[in-house]
Amino acid sequence: MKTTEFIDILKESLEIDDSEVLEDTDLKSLDNYDSLAILSIIALIDEHFGKKIKGEQFKNISTVKSLMTLIGMDNFDE
Amino acid sequence: MFSVIEMIEYWLPETVLDNHQLERKFPEWNSNRIEKKVGIRERHIAGENETASDLAYEAAIKLFKGYDKNKIDFLLLCTQSPDYFFPSSACLLQSRLMLSDTVGALDYNLGCSGFIYGLALSKGLIRAGIASHVLLLTAETYSKHLHPQDLANRSIFGDGAAATVVSKVDQEHIYEFEFGTDGNGKDNLIVANGGLRNKYNHDESTAVGGTEFMRSDNYLYMNGPEIFNFTIEKIPLLVENTLRKNKMSLNDIHYVIFHQANKYMLTYLRKKMKIPENKFFMNMEHTGNTVSATIPIALKESLCQGIVKKGDIVLLVGFGVGYSWGATVVKI
Repeated sequence: MKTTEFIDILKESLEIDDSEVLEDTDLKSLDNYDSLAILSIIALIDEHFGKKIKGEQFKNISTVKSLMTLIGMDNFDE
Repeated sequence: MFSVIEMIEYWLPETVLDNHQLERKFPEWNSNRIEKKVGIRERHIAGENETASDLAYEAAIKLFKGYDKNKIDFLLLCTQSPDYFFPSSACLLQSRLMLSDTVGALDYNLGCSGFIYGLALSKGLIRAGIASHVLLLTAETYSKHLHPQDLANRSIFGDGAAATVVSKVDQEHIYEFEFGTDGNGKDNLIVANGGLRNKYNHDESTAVGGTEFMRSDNYLYMNGPEIFNFTIEKIPLLVENTLRKNKMSLNDIHYVIFHQANKYMLTYLRKKMKIPENKFFMNMEHTGNTVSATIPIALKESLCQGIVKKGDIVLLVGFGVGYSWGATVVKI
């Protein structure tokens, strides 16, 4: 998957319309980043990558990039 | 000797806690967003002196307005909020409901899978010739297990009780079951203190939390992400195995009723399993997650709204604390 495509899906699932999200955006700085957002990310990763992220691993997620690393960089083209 | 769900009634406590009230208590909370995603607008909360057995009592009394209670020869009560360590609340209810002293009565401790287990136990009692009319009560007051400042869980859980009669008939209406248990999930949904393993901690200052959660071992702790992972992993397989065991496909099923955990999770699971939306009944807007009572409450509502009709084939799926899960197919 292209990184831009991933960010679009991520924005959609976190219901972010206006603000810009980049690879180095800190997810925790987003208004909607709460327990429901985490469920959305779990669903997104299951649906698009068939992977499971454990609850405790979310503590280590800060930027979009760190989430991508957790999913596995081999899943991203560029 | 076969079984049927003969009748269902339910009871919700009088006090309603709606999202506007929650928003006033927790001003940083965006009720619109939560409501849209979680699908819950209000939940009923038991009074300070009102217990799960009180709610079960009211549900049963409501049912007995249209049902001869002298027929009942067995009483099962599913709750994780008993009045006492002992005697079991089922014994108290036998007396309060003025049921014959020849009924068998017992409590069993399960959460969101509880109704499915209750149907299986009822079917077993009937099949074995032990009982012919089982009163299955599923009653819960999780609000009493929640920290007052635990906004996230307060927005999800509601209190309530359902009374279901499972009766002997000459054609099977409660088909085959599938079950599962994984006690490795115990720490992800738990009230750790107050039983005999860990005493209740009277020092309330040990509670830790942020804007959404407040965590103390005296109260319910739910690891939402892990619970979601558990359902993603187990529930599609559970549905598949239950259908296979019944030699059915989704095409043979008129309606699917899941434990009403929250709208977001259910919608994701529904899509993942490719269950058509028009076959998937959801009912949580006015009740919240009432734990073991959600399935009978949803089934009753679907009948009242004329959605599920007599003769329909319905897939019932329960899952949660334990972990514990189960599913069956019933003919209404």
